[in-house]
Amino acid sequence: MTTRDRYMLELEGMLTIIPEPQRKEWLYDYYIHFQQAVENGQSEEDAALELGDPKLIANEILLGYRVDQAESTSSFGKLSKAVFATVSLGLFNIIFILGPYLALAAVLLALWAVAASIGLAGLAVIAESLLNETFSMPQALTVSIITTAIAILLFIGLKALTASFYKMTLKYLKFNTRMVKGHNK
Amino acid sequence: MNIQFKKGVLEICVLVLATRGDRYGYELAVKISEKFEVAVGSVYPLLSRLTQDGYFSTYLKESNEGPPRKYYQLTQEGWSHMRRLIAEWESFTQSVNEIIEEGLKP
Repeated sequence: MTTRDRYMLELEGMLTIIPEPQRKEWLYDYYIHFQQAVENGQSEEDAALELGDPKLIANEILLGYRVDQAESTSSFGKLSKAVFATVSLGLFNIIFILGPYLALAAVLLALWAVAASIGLAGLAVIAESLLNETFSMPQALTVSIITTAIAILLFIGLKALTASFYKMTLKYLKFNTRMVKGHNK
Repeated sequence: MNIQFKKGVLEICVLVLATRGDRYGYELAVKISEKFEVAVGSVYPLLSRLTQDGYFSTYLKESNEGPPRKYYQLTQEGWSHMRRLIAEWESFTQSVNEIIEEGLKP
């Protein structure tokens, strides 16, 4: 097996999550690179060295792919994958990306939980009054209308907040990619 | 040179290199890495990102030997993006130079 084959196999093995034909297209760049390096009188070993560690290259390609995915479809699973792909590029990112991301995500989750429980509290008051007659029906209804209104307002606000958190995370990931990209060699 | 520093300007350089006719990936990657000492392999992801953002269009062209080469062509959007980056770069370097000159004045 030649150096080129080994390099290409290693790279391809780490990019299996990227679907065809995208993966083929990205790998083609590296395949052609070897070809042309040899045409220019370089050895395959030199070309592999010059290209850089396939692991780092794969990390960079994956990061680009994850960010793209998170951008084209809004999903928190995909956003988190993009965050983790960035983190895998270096220790530096654990402090500047993962930490703030997890903290903010936790705060958002807590706020959603608060909104949900306020909404549920209204229903609980009605149920409680039906079962144990703690409050009269008009009282219970008034309380539940107020809490439901508060919950709805919170939901609307949180939705906007979550959307902007999503957008800002992506923006920051892209900025960060540009800053740290290719720190090997 | 500082690594983080380099990374920010790679994009400008790739775009500028492509203004003189269409370039193929290998040419761009080698030119850039010679000057900046970045791994050649990390130029390709940058090229695909710029292509995806619509700043480059690519096409394959047969070569005399071996498989077809991938050529990168600067799009209209690519041109205006490049001009924007250059303007940013110029005002940035100007500020830095001013501070350096002020600071080193005897």
